[in-house]
Amino acid sequence: MEYGYYPGCSLTGSARKLDKGIRQIFARAGHTMKEIPDWNCCGAFEYGDRKELVNFSKKNLEKARGHFHDIVTPCPACYKNLKEADEAYEFGVIHPLDVFDESFFQWTKQARDLAGQVFTPYYGCILLRPKETAIRNKTIMEETIVRFGGEVAGEAAKDRCCGGNQIFIDKSVTEKLSRIILEKSRGTLVVFCPLCHMALKTFSGERKVIYFTDLLLYIMGEKGAL
Amino acid sequence: MPQIDHAIELTDYRRQDFSVCLGCKICASVCTVNDITGNTNPQDMLQRIFLGKDISADEPLVRSCTGCYRCTGACPWEIRIPDVIRALRHELNVESPFEKAFKGSVSLFGRVYEPYVLMKAVPFLIRGGYMQHVTRWMEYMGFHLPHRVKRT
Ligand code: SF4
Ligand code: SF4
Ligand code: SF4
Ligand code: SF4
Repeated sequence: MEYGYYPGCSLTGSARKLDKGIRQIFARAGHTMKEIPDWNCCGAFEYGDRKELVNFSKKNLEKARGHFHDIVTPCPACYKNLKEADEAYEFGVIHPLDVFDESFFQWTKQARDLAGQVFTPYYGCILLRPKETAIRNKTIMEETIVRFGGEVAGEAAKDRCCGGNQIFIDKSVTEKLSRIILEKSRGTLVVFCPLCHMALKTFSGERKVIYFTDLLLYIMGEKGAL
Repeated sequence: MPQIDHAIELTDYRRQDFSVCLGCKICASVCTVNDITGNTNPQDMLQRIFLGKDISADEPLVRSCTGCYRCTGACPWEIRIPDVIRALRHELNVESPFEKAFKGSVSLFGRVYEPYVLMKAVPFLIRGGYMQHVTRWMEYMGFHLPHRVKRT
């Protein structure tokens, strides 16, 4: 299947690891992804003027029109903004988690299992709320971890807020919130958002913080993925 | 007050839309900022807006809302309180140097070019005690040339 791809700004810089992982995993599952030509920033959560914010993503949809129908976008903020801008449901705006199904896992071929390892899938906010733009299956990562033999922990942490959004505003807010997540979780934290990664990583001490793509690549046998 | 009115105009809401609020305070019970401050209440803020009262730039919610949408998720009317707060932040000019640098990059390049944002925010980062985290942030570092999005 051919997907359009909207990486967003972070994935071209500080979250390039997430970008690389997504590309590898989709390639392994037999999908092709092509970037929306000359895409622009989605505005994240930085614009108070609702129309201005939505217009960023409308521009991106314009650039995708005629090229793609289904657009994959890994960053939760990008994903929400793009999905909200598609008011007429003309496109399929998809988070990578939305394509995790039986056939996907058959394609990807398992090389390792997660036996003896504990993981907390930390979805954070934007993948789960508001519900109009939430991912399809809100326990998909738990199911994936169990499927490959790992232990799932941290149910009470999974949908709390890490405060990542405040890290460059008032980091004491982020610190307090991230510490709550760290306390309420166990094992390796599996995250989906570049900002969650940074917030938790800043305060996690010895605890491991990884992207969900790292976990999948590990299962697929990639060297150095975890 | 005209400021608050103007902020509301930036959202998809009109002031009278907040009349549906039941005062149930479910939003307050789940609010992330309330978790750490114990005295923040989105319901109270909405009510003050509805009644035409002023909201100050020091309002803890305006300062610290994380945009988590927990309030929206729990509210019977799914009121998008963070969208309202975001508009207030804009109107009351409480944006941090980092947010300004973010927007500066977007208007210059069409994208967030992190080296530019970092450079612009250096004084803020030093003052704010961010340098102590640099060792934990090594994996995020790296250099790439900016892409300039075509003007349309
Ligand atoms: S949410 Fe972040 S990464 Fe995504 S496009 Fe916007 S600024 Fe860039
Ligand atoms: S950084 Fe944390 S607060 Fe922000 S979107 Fe990701 S989950 Fe939510
Ligand atoms: S979005 Fe803001 S107001 Fe709503 S629960 Fe989160 S922190 Fe509180
Ligand atoms: S949850 Fe909704 S209806 Fe209830 S007080 Fe908060 S804003 Fe009003």
